[in-house]
Amino acid sequence: MNIDKLFKRASEKSVTDIQVFVSDKNNLNIEIFEGKVDSYVIADTSSIIIKGIYNKKMGTYVTEVLEDDIIDEIIDTIIASAKEIDSLDDAIIYEGDKEYKKLTDIFNENLFNLDVKKKIEKLQKMDKYLHEYDKRVSVVETMYSENTNNVILKNSKGLDLKNKANSAYMGGQVIVKDDKDQRVGFDVLISNDFDDFDIKKISKEIIDNALASLGAKPVPSDSYEVVFSNGALATLFSAFQNIFSADAVQKNLSLLKGKLDKVIGSDLVTIVDDPFMKKSARSRSFDDEGVATYYKELIKEGTLKTYLHNLVTAKKDNVKSTGNGFGGSVSAVNLKMEAGKSTLDEMIKSMDEGIYITDVQGAHAGANAVSGEFSLQAMGYYVKNGKKERPVALITVAGNFIDMLKDITMVGKDAKMSYYGVTTPSIKVKSMPVSGS
Amino acid sequence: MLLKQKLIENILDTALETGADFSEVFIERRNASTLQSVSGRLEKVNNSKSFGVGIRVAKDTQSVYAYTNSKNPDDLIQLAKDLSKSFNDEKLTKRTPLMELEVGKKHQAKIKPTDVDLKDKVKLMKRSYKVASEYDEVIKQVMVYLVDNEQEVLIANSEGRFVTETRVRVRLMTQAVAADNGMMQTGSSGDGSGKGYEFFDEMDIEAHAKEAAKVAKTMLYADDCPSGVMPVIINNAFGGVIFHEACGHSLEATSVAKNASVFSGKKGTKIANEIVTAIDDGTIDHAWGSANYDDEGYPQRRRVLIKDGILNSYMIDKINARRMNEEPTGSSRRQNYKFSPTSRMSNTFIDNGGSTLEEIIANTKYGLFAKKMGGGSVNPGNGDFNFSVMEGYMVRDGKIAEPVKGASLVGNGAKILHKIDMIANNLERQRGMCGSASGSIPADVGQPSVRVQAITVGGKKKGAK
Repeated sequence: MNIDKLFKRASEKSVTDIQVFVSDKNNLNIEIFEGKVDSYVIADTSSIIIKGIYNKKMGTYVTEVLEDDIIDEIIDTIIASAKEIDSLDDAIIYEGDKEYKKLTDIFNENLFNLDVKKKIEKLQKMDKYLHEYDKRVSVVETMYSENTNNVILKNSKGLDLKNKANSAYMGGQVIVKDDKDQRVGFDVLISNDFDDFDIKKISKEIIDNALASLGAKPVPSDSYEVVFSNGALATLFSAFQNIFSADAVQKNLSLLKGKLDKVIGSDLVTIVDDPFMKKSARSRSFDDEGVATYYKELIKEGTLKTYLHNLVTAKKDNVKSTGNGFGGSVSAVNLKMEAGKSTLDEMIKSMDEGIYITDVQGAHAGANAVSGEFSLQAMGYYVKNGKKERPVALITVAGNFIDMLKDITMVGKDAKMSYYGVTTPSIKVKSMPVSGS
Repeated sequence: MLLKQKLIENILDTALETGADFSEVFIERRNASTLQSVSGRLEKVNNSKSFGVGIRVAKDTQSVYAYTNSKNPDDLIQLAKDLSKSFNDEKLTKRTPLMELEVGKKHQAKIKPTDVDLKDKVKLMKRSYKVASEYDEVIKQVMVYLVDNEQEVLIANSEGRFVTETRVRVRLMTQAVAADNGMMQTGSSGDGSGKGYEFFDEMDIEAHAKEAAKVAKTMLYADDCPSGVMPVIINNAFGGVIFHEACGHSLEATSVAKNASVFSGKKGTKIANEIVTAIDDGTIDHAWGSANYDDEGYPQRRRVLIKDGILNSYMIDKINARRMNEEPTGSSRRQNYKFSPTSRMSNTFIDNGGSTLEEIIANTKYGLFAKKMGGGSVNPGNGDFNFSVMEGYMVRDGKIAEPVKGASLVGNGAKILHKIDMIANNLERQRGMCGSASGSIPADVGQPSVRVQAITVGGKKKGAK
């Protein structure tokens, strides 16, 4: 689409300011099943998000149809929307910041150019390795996914920004079986450096964990001390990300309302948003509104330091945007709970009786970001006298996320970026209700 | 037409050049709109227009897929060529000429979303806001969402299928937040349809708005749910999410064909109590999960999955059919052109039984009545599932007692089907969005009220009984 033409037409129709966010994506997905390529997907797509201000209200249009003959329809729809919007929010298109950090490591050309045959070979190697590891392995799938995202932001106030990033994940899923039970193991590695994909190491972890969970049974319902693995905490944490959004706070949808500068967690808890995290395809030097991003502490040693803002929520609170205006709302770039001093072993050893939870499921339904409450299906191990005694499954662990932040007694050294884009260490929590047999 | 027939034929042919035995073109155009109001004020109006082409090429059970939103013939032919590089034989398969284009005539909308003035859409939302916000003083926030979309698809394949249809869906949802004394709870309610805007003449918008507010208030003052194993009565309509998660996903060929489902190889055997009959029906008039054709271009159908406790049919797509040595069941679906299609549910429900809800409650000495369910998920590899209860009550001595909050249910799909010991006669279906391998698609869940003898209930309060 001819952007200059769009801007000119908008101005002629009394749209006072306009912005385009152009996104070009390339995807590659490969799945290997029983040694053969089972799914192979290549994709090439473009889309434009257009935001325009008419009569002080903001209209939005998203299109994958990029021909110039759609320009009038876009502008007319934006005007029609703006006429009906009666929200009291300001409509702002941003003139830009003085400086934007240069991010050099978020696009890895070598990964992009690496022959697809090499990618398939590595997956097949992993498939073979998983199959031969143990005779109880019955079904194996391995997968590789790679995304390249090229973004351009331009507006009528003269802003013109670019960002190019790529990332990939490689992983596998196995089903292990014995006479009595059947369990699933799954994990992925995330990076934009192909050499980071250590398939032997991850294969071993996937199978060892799956085998160890064979024969898992519920524990009696009771309150237990709980250790969450870094992966399990990531799933839980990602379900509650929105509590930091100033938009949620202003709409009475966050329990953190009125809690700025107050102690809301154990002093072991520090949570940051790091938009410059290395090798993360989410990393960005500017948000979708064109505001420069920066590193910030949300919770420092238990004290809530800031909410996340976009231009509109910042104006309402009379502060500056924190560069977190994404997707028409507010969100973190790379949310991270800082690692602590303990090893996972130390945490498990410190429990007389407790549950080490390696996975939680159903967070999209069983976790409520407004009330803070969760009750989730969990699996892991029953720990007695500091030792993993037996595998546990089909239990639920329940609590309130805000209360839980206060009850954290140990934090692991093992912070890891998850599939959900949040980075978390393992943690130990005082006591939580567990439902089982 | 979305692309010229000649170009479609060229793509299909190009894809077969190197030995593939099947090629398919899926073309989609979609207009969608999402409106959101907060505190009664229209805050967001998102209009979107998408267009894209998906090309699939297969040989035996191996399939490759590509998508783009380019309309340029050279780009599309090149993409078909790129895909065909996955195979390296001589050309083996001759394409069957396309049949005359068939246009799907069922489930058509009377009033299309693009023909409705934005002002009138906003009026519908205000009706809901008014009732929900005035329900009680503890209701502190009300959000209303109005979503509509019109999807036009055209599907052609090397076996001669050539079909097109337009699918319209509309949905209005209300979420209420109740707050008091530092606590917050949410309630939501809404409805949707495979009709156009004429649907809102029959939907009781005010009743749903009231329901959302009522659930939020009830749960605000509810006690924490006790944890433990107990009988659970799962109410009708959205309660069907239990079957959807616990069993439906494990009956999809996606997992069955790869021996990755607990129900692999169980056809013809007893997998449920004999009072259970379960159906997946993609042909119900104007239903949320219905269509004329599946996303491989074959007619949608009614599939009896379980008949009197016996596994009768899986849901099977074309490629997995080859793996399973069975026929496809018209079950292939996808969110949009960005997904290769695979076997998915449409409108899935447990059929009516012989009891009434009142009888079931009266026959339960102690347990949980899950009146309104939230969502859930399942691990098809071993059938373990979980789902959350949005509105729950304890049952004591055959009567509904106090409300309880924060409950979730966990169990195993293969086992729970044997534990359903009472089924009522009040079957209803409810709208849901189902996420899986081929994206997020509209699907109805449904059931009459059922009782599960014993299931693990997770809550914050210690100890049952």
